[in-house]
Amino acid sequence: MSSEQQIWIVIPGFNEAEVIHDVVARVRALYPRIVVVDDCSQDVTGERARSAGATVLRHPMNLGQGAALQTGIRYALEQGATHIITFDADGQHRVEDIDVLLRTQQETQADIVFGSRFLGSATDIPPFRRMVLKTAVEFTALTSGVRLTDAHNGLRLLTRRAAEAIRIRQNRMAHASEIIGKVGALRLRFAEAPVTIVYTKYSLSKGQKLSNAINILAELFVARLHR
Amino acid sequence: MIKAILVVALLVSLCYAYFQRRKSRLVAVGIALTGVAGIYFVLYPSHTSSLAARLGVGRGADLVFYCWIVSSLFIWIDLQFKILTLQVAVTELNRELALRNPRLPDRTNPAGESPPPKP
Repeated sequence: MSSEQQIWIVIPGFNEAEVIHDVVARVRALYPRIVVVDDCSQDVTGERARSAGATVLRHPMNLGQGAALQTGIRYALEQGATHIITFDADGQHRVEDIDVLLRTQQETQADIVFGSRFLGSATDIPPFRRMVLKTAVEFTALTSGVRLTDAHNGLRLLTRRAAEAIRIRQNRMAHASEIIGKVGALRLRFAEAPVTIVYTKYSLSKGQKLSNAINILAELFVARLHR
Repeated sequence: MIKAILVVALLVSLCYAYFQRRKSRLVAVGIALTGVAGIYFVLYPSHTSSLAARLGVGRGADLVFYCWIVSSLFIWIDLQFKILTLQVAVTELNRELALRNPRLPDRTNPAGESPPPKP
């Protein structure tokens, strides 16, 4: 990590009071610049994130993870970030993998680095979820021209260039596909890095329902028609 | 009398399609085609049966019904666009409010200490 680099960690959170303090504390041990976007939680997510050392931005109304990410990314850019890491609040990501993303970006000079559980490891991934994720990979490759091994991983690194170019407009879970679509459309250089996803009872309960795939498809379809 | 009312209503839909042409050409064309077809069917109702027979639909009333389904689909899509536009505005407003009021880290409770108790 060079002295010129300003690495910001963006963590979108909604009702994550149970784990957010630990997540932020673990990240902050290595990376001090953290912004948690509290997406109008009904619990003390914001207060706990702040007490753990994060800057907290709070949406007055619930908008979705995509919207929270874009808010956090914009804040990080305004603070002078050179590298932005998106990191989930539910504890399924490992802090050690942030360094893996950074080293991969350094080696490949990619504009964006996607974490991939299928290049790394996913502990106890349910079989049906694995199948749906693989299907998402094929769908994303077909629609965006960008072939990844893991198309729905919240752990990613964006350089300042990529963060400024990609403007997330999908408020909810279709943002993951939108980001990949924009990488293809804008011809950004991308790479993948092996990461570990830790499936716990808590993270599985917080993860998006597989039936959301239908909602994601509908949102992407309408967005494509709309100018 | 009813024909006049229907034709006027369909002409209004054509005007709407005209004003929508910049926002969504697809929706504008869909509404325009449906409006023109609707005016034609109102003015020449007997033609619906022969047209329906040619299209293999059955009755003229069935053809009109199917056209209504298609036009409803276009209206639904148009409504989705309007909702999307509103959503963008609401999102931007929420984002500005959040960015203008960042809550900086709590320096009185260094990371590693216990989190605040649950309310």
